[in-house]
Parts: sequence; C-alpha cells; structure tokens
Amino acid sequence: MEEELRVRLNDHQVSKVFPVKPKSTAKPVSESETPESRYWSSFKNHSTPNLVSSVAALAFSPVHPHSLAVAHSATVSLFSSQSLSSSRRFSFRDVVSSVCFRSDGALFAACDLSGVVQVFDIKERMALRTLRSHSAPARFVKYPVQDKLHLVSGGDDGVVKYWDVAGATVISDLLGHKDYVRCGDCSPVNDSMLVTGSYDHTVKVWDARVHTSNWIAEINHGLPVEDVVYLPSGGMIATAGGNSVKVWDLIGGGKMVCSMESHNKTVTSLRVARMESAESRLVSVALDGYMKVFDYGRAKVTYSMRFPAPLMSLGLSPDGSTRVIGGSNGMVFAGKKKVRDVVGGQKKSLNLWSLISDVDESRRRALRPTYFRYFQRGQSEKPSKDDYLVKEKKGLKLTRHDKLLKKFRHKEALVSVLEEKKPANVVAVMEELVARRKLMKCVSNMEEGELGMLLGFLQRYCTVQRYSGLLMGLTKKVLETRAEDIKGKNEFKGLLRNLKREVNQEIRIQQSLLEIQGVIAPLMRIAGRS
Amino acid sequence: MKRGGRSYVTSPPSFSNDAKKLLVCTGNTVSVFSAATGLQITSLEGHTAPVTTLIVVPASSPAQKILCYCWTASLDGTIRHWDFSGPELLKTIDAQLPIYSMVIPSLLSEPQQIDKRRELSGKLVAYVSVEDISVVNQGSKELRGHIRRFNLAKSRIPRGDTLKETAEPESIVISPSGEFFGIRHKCKIHIWDVPSGGSRHAVSRKMTLHHTKVINDFAFHPTERVIAAGDVTGRVLIWRGFGNRKLALGNQKKKVRAMVDLDNAGVRGEDDAESCTTWHWHSAEVNVLNFSSDGAYLYSGGREGVLVVWQLDTGKKKFLPRIGSPLLYFMWSPDPTLSSVVCADNQIHLLKMPSMEILRTISGIKPPPSLPRMYEGLASTVAFDRSSGIAALCTENYCVQLYNLLNDRGISEIQVCERNHQPGDEITVVVTAVALSLDGSVMSTTEVKLPEDGIGGLVSLKFWASEPDSKTFTLSTIVYEPHRDAGVSAIVFHPTRSMAVSTSFGGDFKIWVCNSDKNQTDKDSSWICHAVGSYKKKPMTAAAFSGDGTVMAVAAENVITLWNPDKNILLSVLGSTLTPITKLCFAGKSEFLVAASHIPRPELSVWNTSKLSLSWSYGLRIEAVTSAVDSSAFAVLAVIPKTFKTDESKENIFRGRDGAILLFNGSDPKPVSIWTVMKARGGSISFLEGDKSQLRLAYVNGSHEYVVFDPNSDESHERSAVDYYGLAGLEETGDAGYTSLYGQLPDYDKKRMEDVESLGTPFVSSERPWETIFSGSTLNFPPLQKLCAEFFESLMEKRTAVVE
Repeated sequence: MEEELRVRLNDHQVSKVFPVKPKSTAKPVSESETPESRYWSSFKNHSTPNLVSSVAALAFSPVHPHSLAVAHSATVSLFSSQSLSSSRRFSFRDVVSSVCFRSDGALFAACDLSGVVQVFDIKERMALRTLRSHSAPARFVKYPVQDKLHLVSGGDDGVVKYWDVAGATVISDLLGHKDYVRCGDCSPVNDSMLVTGSYDHTVKVWDARVHTSNWIAEINHGLPVEDVVYLPSGGMIATAGGNSVKVWDLIGGGKMVCSMESHNKTVTSLRVARMESAESRLVSVALDGYMKVFDYGRAKVTYSMRFPAPLMSLGLSPDGSTRVIGGSNGMVFAGKKKVRDVVGGQKKSLNLWSLISDVDESRRRALRPTYFRYFQRGQSEKPSKDDYLVKEKKGLKLTRHDKLLKKFRHKEALVSVLEEKKPANVVAVMEELVARRKLMKCVSNMEEGELGMLLGFLQRYCTVQRYSGLLMGLTKKVLETRAEDIKGKNEFKGLLRNLKREVNQEIRIQQSLLEIQGVIAPLMRIAGRS
Repeated sequence: MKRGGRSYVTSPPSFSNDAKKLLVCTGNTVSVFSAATGLQITSLEGHTAPVTTLIVVPASSPAQKILCYCWTASLDGTIRHWDFSGPELLKTIDAQLPIYSMVIPSLLSEPQQIDKRRELSGKLVAYVSVEDISVVNQGSKELRGHIRRFNLAKSRIPRGDTLKETAEPESIVISPSGEFFGIRHKCKIHIWDVPSGGSRHAVSRKMTLHHTKVINDFAFHPTERVIAAGDVTGRVLIWRGFGNRKLALGNQKKKVRAMVDLDNAGVRGEDDAESCTTWHWHSAEVNVLNFSSDGAYLYSGGREGVLVVWQLDTGKKKFLPRIGSPLLYFMWSPDPTLSSVVCADNQIHLLKMPSMEILRTISGIKPPPSLPRMYEGLASTVAFDRSSGIAALCTENYCVQLYNLLNDRGISEIQVCERNHQPGDEITVVVTAVALSLDGSVMSTTEVKLPEDGIGGLVSLKFWASEPDSKTFTLSTIVYEPHRDAGVSAIVFHPTRSMAVSTSFGGDFKIWVCNSDKNQTDKDSSWICHAVGSYKKKPMTAAAFSGDGTVMAVAAENVITLWNPDKNILLSVLGSTLTPITKLCFAGKSEFLVAASHIPRPELSVWNTSKLSLSWSYGLRIEAVTSAVDSSAFAVLAVIPKTFKTDESKENIFRGRDGAILLFNGSDPKPVSIWTVMKARGGSISFLEGDKSQLRLAYVNGSHEYVVFDPNSDESHERSAVDYYGLAGLEETGDAGYTSLYGQLPDYDKKRMEDVESLGTPFVSSERPWETIFSGSTLNFPPLQKLCAEFFESLMEKRTAVVE
C-alpha cells in the first residue's frame, strides 16, 4: 500500500528524473540531413553476382519492368530489375563496349571491339541483325529516343554511322572527328538530332536528316571526351572528359554553363537522374571510385559516395528505383529503393472510382451508443475524428544502472554498466559518479573479478580520444589505489601488459603529432604574415 | 521606479478564511496572492521595517468566512490591524520595540466572541517576542530577547509582564486551540498555558521539556496534549500528555496522581509528560513541523527538501520528494484540499492535499548560486533582455530562471544541466555564467563539473534558442570543453548578428557563429566555431563588441586586444593596465572602451580606441558595467572602498550602503549622477530599452533584490520613492555642490572625488551640521566661533581621508 502510494506520488514531481545519458557526439554539419542526401542514401545495397571482368556498359529498358542489360567481357547479361538476378546471356565474339535498348524495350543493340553492331530480341538467343561497317572497334551504339528503325554508332575509326536497322545498311557516314569516337547521345526531343564525343577533345552535334555529313555545331571540351548526355530539355548537354564534367548550352551557341571538377580521376560515365521532386541531377562515376551527384541548376555537388573500386559505368532505372554501377574489377554495385508511387497511384485511382461507396460504408460502420457493439470496443479501437484524445503520460524508461543509481547503489551500477559493453554509457555513469563524489569509493570497493572487468575496459578505451580525458586519470588512480590487489595476480598480467602497450603507442602517436605540428607551425606563420 | 525581487520566505505565510487568498510577508509589506492563479492581488503597505508576524483572524462561523481581518507585527515596533479585502488599515498600535514574533491566543480559543471583544478591546491579549536593546549595555549580561504579555488596548508594553528573557529574540509557537504557547530555547522547550479569559491578572503557568540536542522547531497538536519537536540532527520527538501535572486545570489539580511517575517512557528527567517517542528519517536538520488540522498526521521537512507525512498513531510515512530546496514552512488552509509549503529558494508551492501534488508555484526571484572561488567576481550570473525587461538568473538547482523585472514575476525556468539538485550535498556542478543576445533570442550558458580527485572535470558551453511565443529556451548546441579543460571566463554576443565570443582562462578565445541562415529552419540551427585567437598565451578574462559590431575587444590579462571578429585579425593592442581586467564594455556607439579590474588593486579605466590611449581612470572596485545602445552613456556599479566608508562622519550618510551606481556620459570623467545602494557585491546593472524608447536602469543586488528606475528623471521623484524601503535603498545625488560650482575636475583620485560629491549632495540628514545650522531663525544660531569651527571641521575631515 505504502509502495503504491509512493509510486503514485512520483507521478508528479517538481523536478524530473534524469537518466544518465552519454554525451552527445558531434553531428556532421547538415550533410546527412538534406533531402537530397536522404534520397541518394536511401538506395539499399543489393548483392549481385560478381562478374569476372570490367563492366563496360549498363542499360535499363525504358519500359516496365525495366530489365537491365550489363555488358561485361564478351557477353551481355540481362538482369531482372526486381531481383537483380541474371536471366539470360548473349555472347559475342569480342569484348562488348556498348549496349542500348529500343524505345519499346523489345530489342537491344550492342557493339563489340571487332566493330560489329548486333541487334537482339530480348527473348531470343540469336542476333536479329548484324551490322558490319566499322573498320575499327565500335565504341558506342544508341537507339534514337522514339525512333524504332534507326541506330547510331561510332568507333575508333572516327566515323559516326546512322543505320537503317531493317535493311542493315548505313544511311549516312558522319565524318568530322579526328580521333576515336567514344560516346554519343540522341536528343530527347528530336529523333534525328545526335551528339557524339571523341578523343579529339570535341563534341559534335549532327542532324541525321542533313546528308552533307557535316556537323551543325562543335564544342571543345578541352580533354578527351569520355561520355556525353543530353539534358532532359534537349537544349543542353553535359560532357565528361578528364576529371571534369561540363554543362553546355547548345541553343545559346554552345556556351559553357557550368563545370564540376570534384573528381580526382577520369570521369567514365554520366547519367541524368530524375529526383522525386521532378528535378534533374547529373550523376557521374569516375575511376577514383566516387559517384557524385551534381545539381547543375545550382552548380553544386549535392551528394558524393565512395565505392571500393574504379567505376566504369552507371545505370539508373527510368522509374528511379534502381541505381547500378559497374566497377573495373567486375563488381556490380546495385542499389534499390522501395517505390511507393506505383502503389499510391493505384490506391488513388481506386478511391476515384469508389468515392461514393466509401462514404456510405464509413457511415454504415460508425458505431453509436445505440449499437451493442459500441460497448464492446477494445483497446485497438481507433479514435474517430471528433473524439477528444486523452494522452497517456509516457513513463520514463530507466535502464538497470539508472535504477541502481537512483537507489544509491553506486558500485553495482558501475559493474552493471561495465557488463553492457557500451563505452559511452560506462563513461556517462562514471561522470555521474564523479558528480556524486563516489567514483573513487566505487573503485576501492570493487572485488577482484569486477576490478578485472574495469581494467579490461580501461585498457581498451583509455586512449580513445573521446573518453581519454576521464579514463587516463582514472586508470592512473585505479593502478595507484589498488596496486596491492593487482600486483602479482596472473589474471591481471595480460591486461597490464596490454595497457602498457596501448599507452606506449599513444605516446608515440603524440610525439609524431608534435613533430608534424612543428613542421606546420612555421609554414602557417609565414602564410599568416603574407 | 519599480522595486521587486523581495523575499517571500522571511516569515510564514497565512491563508485567508476562505482559502482563496494567501498572505505573504514581503519585506515592509504584506502581499496578498490569489491561490487560484498564483498572482498578486494587492498589498498592505504601511510598515517601515520588515513584517515579522501575520495573523489572520479566524472565522468562527461559515458566515464570517468572508471577513478579511488580520494583525501584523513588524520590526518597526508597531502592531497593525488590517482589512485586507480593501485593503485598509484599521488600527495601529505602537509597541516601541522591534517585534520578532507575536501570538494572540484569544483569537483561537474563543473566536465566537471576537467581534464583541474587539469592541470592548480591553481584553485582547497578545504575547510578543521583542528585542529590548535599552537594557543592554556593552558587555553586560542582560538578555536582549524578551517574551512579554501585551494588552492590545494599551500602547506600551508594561515591563512587569515579561515572561522570559533569552539571549536572542525567539519565535513564539501557539497551539491551534489557543491553550498553550511556547518557545524553543537551545535544547529546551518552554511552554506556558494561557490563563482562561475571565481573569485578567491571572499568571500563566510555565513548564519545560528537555532534550539533548538543539531544537529547531516544534508544534502543538490541535486537540490533544501532544508536542512534536525537530532537532538539528534530524530527529523528530513526540511528547504525549505534557503538562498533566503542572498545567492541569485548577479544579482537576487534586485528582492528578501526585508523584507517580510509573512508565513515562523516554521522558527526560523530571519533565512533565507521559511519554516521548523519537522518529528518525531526516538526515539533516528539521525545519518544518506541523500537525494536520484534524491531528491525524504530522508534516515534517528540512534541509533535504523532502516533505514527510507521518501517520501519528502508526508512524508510517509518505513523501513528497525532490522539492529541490530546503523547506522553511508548511501551512494548511481552511480548505482541506489545499496547503502550501515554502522553500528557501523563494518559492511557495501550493499543494493539492491528499495526494500532495504541486498545483501551482508562486515563484519569487531565486537567490544566487554559490560559485567556485575561481569564478567569483568574473562570471555574470545575471543577464538582461533589454527590450522586454526580463532577467535570466543562474540558480542553485542548475537552472536559469527567467524573471520579469517589470511585473515582478517569475516566468519560467530552464533546466540547464540535467541533474536533480539535492540541497545540502557538496556542490559538484555549477552553472557559472549566462548571457543573452541583445534581441533576447539566443541564450548561452556555461557550466562546470568540478573534478573528483583531479579526474572527471568538465566545462561545457551551451547555446539556447528562444521559443517564438512562450518565453522559454530550447537547447540548440552543446560544446563540451570549449577551451579544452580551461574554464570559460566570459561569453558575449554580437550586437546585431548571431555571433558570440567566449574567452577562457586557458589563453584563447573562440568566436562562434550560428549556421541557421544556411538551411533556413530554426530547428537545425547550430553554433559552430568560426575562429580561434590568442594573444601571447595570456589568460583571456573579458570581451566586448563595439556598438556596431565591427570591433571586438578581448582583455588578455592586463592588455586589451582589439580584433576584427569576421576576419579574426588583430587590429591593435591597448596599453597595459596595472592589474588583470575583469570587465570590458564599449560605451554605446562611441569609441570609448570601459575596462574594470579589481585584484589586487581595483581600477576603472576608460580608453579611447581611436587614439589608442587612456582617457581617464579611477581607483574603484567595479562589480558591473553596462552601456546604453544608442547613446554614449554608461553606468558602473562600484563598491565603496572600506577606508572611505569607515570614516566616522560618513557612517550615517551611507547607512550600511556599500555600493554606488555612477552614470557617466561618454568620455566625461565627471559622473552625471550617483546613487548609493546596498549589497553591491555580486550585484549587476543593465540599461533596459523599452518600446517607448525610454531608458531605464535595472540594478539587481547581491541577494537578487532589484530596482528599475529612470536615470534621467528629476530628483524629487526619486527622493519621494526612496528611503522607506531599506533593503535596496537608493539616493539620487546629481551633480550639485562642488562640481556644479567649480565645474569639471582634473583627473583625480576617486577617493577625493567621492568626498567632494558627498559634500555637495543634498542628503536628508541632520548629521551634517553645515546644512542645518544655517536654517531657521537667526536667533537660534549658535555663536559664530562654534559655527565656524564646526563648518571647517567638516571640511578638514575630508582632507584627512585623502591623506589615508
């Protein structure tokens, strides 16, 4: 009865119970918190079978379910985008360099280093068409965005070819590049407009309707061009070459809009990604292993992610649910996120149809005091809109050491938190004990086993920078006050040896840091003077 | 002019008969609070010294519950009778001796006849505890405290009615039935019975109960002959059936067994009680003892800040723990669901009774915390929001209290450090400083965890953002060890931007900026370090921003360094003072910089930052400096030097005041006006700029009483409002006398300056013969020789003071 009364009294207090909390650690300045980074980091890593050789190209089918074509070595593998498992393989005579789906997703084209461009039905093993004309390795092949009948390809012979697929003939040879043609893209607004990039540092804009085989516009990137993409408006392009990515305004006469040079090695692939907010971002991967997301509207890198291998190719599914990156060692880094849009859309359409019946049903289901079921409502009953909700006061959850601290059982609290193996909590309890002036008493009261546990903890964490301020002093005190208990005990020998080693190592680190400081300080002073 | 911050806890409060009002003694006045809202309704003003006793005349019938009469007694030697619904003073009785405590037994014993009695009024008898200094000569063994019987009809206490003499005036406790009253005196309790009403000359009989420890407090049971007493060690003693022999009623006297002390267990010696039991729960002294109105429970409390309810028959306990401050009084009200408990931190909690929940708190200004020695005189534990007149005060229980100086009301409390304060424990965590930005939107606090055996010390700096509507703050950023393990000596905010600078004893300062403008939302705003600076590894002790915020001054021990806060470039260094600087302040928008230092030699110096030279200086110990935002006026709170104060002739002028507020204008070394104040040590001042563009000066003294006044208003107004309230007395002096006659003085020593000022100032005192001797009829003039001698003597004294 008395106990019960006490509990009830504790409900309302002048001052609250403050559980022992570890010190909060510094948060990175706003980085992980932007909606942008939340979007990009929400791609959950998805394990994929490791391919043996470098992944040269990746392409997503433009139609649902967006199957994925991966070009590696002399094969193109088709992956289902749901499970990211390989469903079909197409083999080539030489190393495949590029792959591209047709707008309906039924066919795809691929080219290899023997200079052959082949067109496959995704359901059949054999090639439908084999286009032979390139005299050197072919490097890129592309279907125009809507056009189903033509293909664009380019290769090391410096010629861009515009194909008629059905007849397997070259409609026009677009001549002008003075070096290997490495990449190209077709305009999203006009099926006959295309751009190609070459190792002669230039990007040329072509119109397939003009048979003079002369380019319309030329842009000098300044470095061998590795990739080029049209931005969704069709009036701007982005080029990747060397360490830089540049955005150009084609309509405005080929002026550079902005450039991004945050990669440290050659940028290998570029893609345009559509965010949830319908904004577009430029995603680039490079040999330095970084994927960077570039907001070209604000000329700012908004996200950056590191992978453990040089990156060769990049693919983003049109529905934004999958992000696949191919590495030079055959690793495929796939990331998937849940897409709720589809489900939401379905629900919306359902609601649209059954709007009236829904209202009827809710009216029918509403319980009134005249119904018997009204009185049987249980805990799980949802409150209706005009109900007044009485919030239950949430009880404070106290951990074991908090409860022990509340009862002033200080040593037991320290031992129980040591058993938990959470260093931040242990240090927090120690700080609380310092504030109560009871830490040294706890140490002197510890039994042998508990002392071992404490020494183990100190050995492991006393040189960790975040805790060392307290733990270094404590280690010294513990060794001083419990010297006779620790001395000559076999179980402590190993601990003490490790502790000694840790401290020596820390001293060495500090010395080398001081040396570095000694080198830097005069430099800083000189810099400050000038 | 507004005064406030009075202590609510000098003497026990009292409920009105309908339990809707709570009367509290607040200094010279009695404040009436509403129990329902906790706000002040009215106040009874008239006493000229602190009120010590407050007795509400109890109602005998339900119809009388609306009657609002009370008696008050004060140290000014008067007893007054009030109607506090009015409020209206009905009657004043001059007792001529300072009254420390008073009881009126007949109000309790025969309440139904009160009205009649008051008309007859010859028989209303009070027992008072007075201090009679007249009988005490130096070194004599005469006792000062007297318990006397006093007929409220007569205006003089007859000497013959003294019941008891003690070394110090003791407080009298009366039983709820009005039959007995008593005092505690060291280890003894003396109890008298009240002679029954009819016999006017009947002598009260006395008995004594003994204990081995000093008794702190005791209480009478409402119906039975039971006394509870609490001692300094925390024991609660219950004597049952006291006074059966000695205080028995006359007709029963014969029947009482004469000397049969059979088994009065626990009763000491020859004490007249049936039994004595001891309860021991409190770990420290017991200050509060009170029986419930039906006598079934006993309430006790003490230094631990826990209210304990004992069931009297069984000894079982209930608790109201963690009140967080030593308890001083517990009062139950006529309404059985309401009672109040008064705490030492100037808070009155109203309790909902059977469940002992705290319903409401009447929050007075909290007393200042005790700081570690290192921070004394440096840390600013009071900060002011200049626009709204709100002061943020550090308190003992790791909080910052926001107190509205204009309304004299506590607004809220912010838990700075997530700990429970346990009064009486060793101090291990202290909130050392608080600072508010000029617009009051950001607060910054520092706290120190003192190390145990040299390990585990921690300094942390916190930034708080204000909630838009409610006047509280939410934590925005914590910085652990902002200057490694060195303590923070000062935090100062930039006048216009969200920027702050913290200086440390470790020899560096850090500039902090808020990065909220980057991501717009207030929630994400956080403070990050913008720059670090140091000057020759000297301890940095104070900082200030100039009025427009382009220059920052940081005091590095005894030189002042000027920095560009944005680019963190050292602009220049101002020549050294003699002693380490503790306070810095720019004089408004002007280029003058005020610096103050006090250890080991006090100094106030004003520097011209454009010429990089010293303008003038005084040898004064400065407690606080403030400057107006728009004008170049600044004010300093100076402690009057001891050598100067002990001078005989000025003893009366200062009347215990130990400080002065000097108002300067720009570079002029002559103060515009001077006010003398009390308890200047640990005090602080600030200008308040309200919406009416009216400049006011707020002064909070060392024990957190405050006054807000207009420094530019005319003298007479000040004078009229001054002086009846002795605790924070103020006097306008203006520049009259010497300075007005002879103009500005050269750069002189402060002591001389003070002398001159006090000479010319229009004090209302007869102690200064040269002012009064000339007034009045020429017939009354003393002979010229005497007059001359007296006049010159007063001047000569000044000179000797200078020589010292």
